[in-house]
Amino acid sequence: MTKTRAPAGPKLRNTWSQIFETGMGARVYPYLMVLPAVLVVVGVVVYPVISGIMTAFYDVTLRTLNTGTAQFVGFRNFERVFADPVFVLASTNTLIWVVLNVVAQLGLGLALALLLHRAMPGIGFFRSGILVPWVVPSVVAVLTWRWMYDPSVGIANEILLKLGILDRNHPWLGDTATSLYAVTVESIWKGTPFVMLLLLAALQMVPRSILEAASMDGASGWRKLWYVILPQIRVSFAIAAVLTFILTVNNFNAIWLMTEGGPLNSSEILFTLAYKYGFQRFDLGKASAVATMLFVGLVIATTVYLKLIQAKEGD
Amino acid sequence: MDTVAIHPRQRERSAPRVVKRSFQLPRPVRTALVYITLWIAFIWAVFPFYWMIATSIRPKDEIFQRPPSLIPNGATLQNYIDLLVGAQFWRFAMNSLLLTVAVTIISVLISVTAGYAMARHRFKGSVTLPLFMLYGQMFPPVLLLIPFYVQLRFLGWLDSLWGLIPVYLSYMLPLCVWLMRGFFSQVPFSLEDAARMDGCTRWQAFWKVILPMARPGIVAVATWVMIHTWNEFLYASTFILSDTKRTLPLGLSGLIGQYTTDWGVLMAGGVLTAAPILLVFFILQKQLVSGIGGGAVKG
Amino acid sequence: MNIHRKLITGAAALALGLGVGFSPALADNIVFWINSPLASSPDAPIYAELKAFEAETGHTVELQPVAHMEMERNLTVAMSGGAGPDVMALDIAWVAGLANAGLLMDLTEQTAPLAEGYQKGPLASGRFEQRQYALPLYTNNVALFVNNKMLADAGIDKAPTNWEEFREAAIAMTNAEKGTYGLTFGGSRTGAFQLYSFIWQNGGEVIDDEGKVRVGEPESVEAVEFLSSLYTEHKAMPDSVLTANSWDEVNAPFIQERAGMLVSGDWAIAALKNGNPNLDWSVHPLPVGKQAATVIGGYNLAVNANTSVGDASWQLVEWLTGPRSVELMGKYNRLSAAAGAAAPEAIAALPEEIKPFMEQADAGRARPVVAEWSQIHSEVFGTVWDSVLRGQPVADVMSKADAQTKSIMGQ
Repeated sequence: MTKTRAPAGPKLRNTWSQIFETGMGARVYPYLMVLPAVLVVVGVVVYPVISGIMTAFYDVTLRTLNTGTAQFVGFRNFERVFADPVFVLASTNTLIWVVLNVVAQLGLGLALALLLHRAMPGIGFFRSGILVPWVVPSVVAVLTWRWMYDPSVGIANEILLKLGILDRNHPWLGDTATSLYAVTVESIWKGTPFVMLLLLAALQMVPRSILEAASMDGASGWRKLWYVILPQIRVSFAIAAVLTFILTVNNFNAIWLMTEGGPLNSSEILFTLAYKYGFQRFDLGKASAVATMLFVGLVIATTVYLKLIQAKEGD
Repeated sequence: MDTVAIHPRQRERSAPRVVKRSFQLPRPVRTALVYITLWIAFIWAVFPFYWMIATSIRPKDEIFQRPPSLIPNGATLQNYIDLLVGAQFWRFAMNSLLLTVAVTIISVLISVTAGYAMARHRFKGSVTLPLFMLYGQMFPPVLLLIPFYVQLRFLGWLDSLWGLIPVYLSYMLPLCVWLMRGFFSQVPFSLEDAARMDGCTRWQAFWKVILPMARPGIVAVATWVMIHTWNEFLYASTFILSDTKRTLPLGLSGLIGQYTTDWGVLMAGGVLTAAPILLVFFILQKQLVSGIGGGAVKG
Repeated sequence: MNIHRKLITGAAALALGLGVGFSPALADNIVFWINSPLASSPDAPIYAELKAFEAETGHTVELQPVAHMEMERNLTVAMSGGAGPDVMALDIAWVAGLANAGLLMDLTEQTAPLAEGYQKGPLASGRFEQRQYALPLYTNNVALFVNNKMLADAGIDKAPTNWEEFREAAIAMTNAEKGTYGLTFGGSRTGAFQLYSFIWQNGGEVIDDEGKVRVGEPESVEAVEFLSSLYTEHKAMPDSVLTANSWDEVNAPFIQERAGMLVSGDWAIAALKNGNPNLDWSVHPLPVGKQAATVIGGYNLAVNANTSVGDASWQLVEWLTGPRSVELMGKYNRLSAAAGAAAPEAIAALPEEIKPFMEQADAGRARPVVAEWSQIHSEVFGTVWDSVLRGQPVADVMSKADAQTKSIMGQ
């Protein structure tokens, strides 16, 4: 893309980097830059993922795994999963879980990033504070929220009572109607700061000249935001969306440590279902079947989304 | 390229345009609103953490009190003393620190170079490669445990902090590369070209011009890697076996008993685990502000 | 001293290792996974005990504490990955699943001469399909904790000893105005765990010794109805029963003096003392239905089937679970499962509050040792309890559970 220019004046230095500036070197060097990353990822992850997917097609249980008698069964694991009544419930729950989380985290994250993208006294304090949920270890955060929701000792009910929103204690995690949403509140709390951080960094990188130009054109706040700022951070926004999507689908701790998918599977998502198949029933084949479906779903969804984004970007 | 030619007629028009068309609140009210919103967001984010701290300093017999009091009635640092005096905590912290520093440095190095290459150059696979790497992240990690275990055992990397590094890198790198590619693509090409026209090698252009501009992005990525490595639990718990190599999150989970949990100590542990990262971030967040201010292009 | 010791140790090992037979190895390194509460600090009693073992046998033991949350999963993953510890401490409920997968060493021959040295119930928890795979390290069972003051205030002068008295006490201590309840109970799996004792007390069964599923039989259904009606009809349990899936959450209302009775094990004692030192409570054997019964919990020691140091591992298991366990577990305030611990002198030497647990040890029963137990416990019974708590008719729920259990067991 960029060719060496030989200007009449100062010459390009004759350093080793010149190898990369010309001819073969220039074509090869991007691959070299990318190589370490690819090597690490492919080298470490390929075997487990392929093994995980293949497990879905064999009748692998703890027993057959260790006696070496697992047999190929084609799609039978998948059929058995579809036949499980809990699977339908878990799928619906997963959909709700993902949509709520992604929309809320992206929306709140963007709002917070815009809010924090200014130089006011004390802004550093607020930025650090708003990042706290992300920093707290996941296990401790989830257990803290569980304790806050507890009907006997929880502060959540206490506060809601005092604010007049409730008139009696409500078992948030014990009511099948609210269990999923209660956990969702925690995961939104935990995940939004990261989106905020990404978008804030992206906002900080928007050249001020563009903003100045937009102001001079007479654009007011909203229009400036929509037509000028957002397109600039579009790539980071897409990345944040994809990341949040993946992390939400694969978020195990939040649901497992708060409700284990209960009560009565009201907060069961596909991931916890897979875990139960694998580590309570020891039916690794079915667990892998669910995991593979999740995997394929994620792959398709993100690929489609990103292709769309790239098409718009004209990249 | 980024400048806007101002039409002479527009210059005239811009003066009377002081009268804003859309409704805007007076300045002090806007500032107050901003601060109020900031405080609401702050309280929402920090309250559970405050609750953790409050629980960790409550005396043991106050933890189950009903109704729970927002502010602890008694205060004791016994939980913190218990944790900090034992040698175990410091060993776990040191392990976590080593692991985190190593993974962060390596991740940043690799992802910055890879991300830059992908953002700058259209080469075969520059579009599909990042996507492909991301796929590895999408398989539920819990179900990868057994094959991972077999693989690590085969390589002799079990029960070793160094063995954990490639495992962590494998799922940090795809996202880091993605992010860095995204951030680098926000940096205008023209800057680099201008620097090179001025006689810089590609390397110098990168180091002196592009990198400082991408600093907020790098800080964001480094923070992400730091936090996730520091707090990572699943892989550490499966692949680290000896007590001496455990990391902080493992130490925390050891506090959660089958029958009962010492909540005060657990919460203290959580606070102590989160505190160093918060401190680091507080220092780093200044770096989030773009260095050159992004207004380097003039005329 | 060395030659003598080696000779004696060698002879003893030879005598013990009947089925295994070859000469004792020289110093072997045994990797031992133990649950972290037993090794919570460098001066935990287990370390001293292991040093004594090392001195006596010449083997070395590498102790690796594992948190309870991770133990089962880590064991499963490690052993399936072809590794794992040589000796492991595991919850008695996990023995069947691991033994079924062929991951535990068959210890039947080695344990045959020693069977008399262990209490029957805990010993049975390590036996799967007529073969012995684990020996009990410590045992616990479930008894009745009573808030003396609340009981007296309700006009009842002694703790309930049968179902009628139990129900009366629960209802008497329930007072909507004061916000007090008769009984605090668990939800989901924790509640299911507490349920089994009552099913057995009523003469019901979950899966009997021949492997037949008897979940849907009237006695079992009655027992579940008895307990659930305390919540659904009489409101004698607080709302926490809907969510309490950990023991702390079960204990909380009792600690807060909002519930007058608690069905729990000796592990609750420390929690009660810490949570409310002023609480005036006492422990009693579980009320008797048609017979006395209480569910047994605890930890066993087992040996990895793929270990390379089988003899040494067996020696360690035998050392820790044998008569020495009485003193060792006493240091942890837990109950040893050795026969010696059930002797009257040993019981008399226990702290007051733990005595009732040992006194009802004869009525202790292990949960069915079947490979599918984890699934039956969580999916079937956890759901049963959650369903009946939320008002679903008990008979329907139990018959569905019966069908489900049968299908899981392949019947």
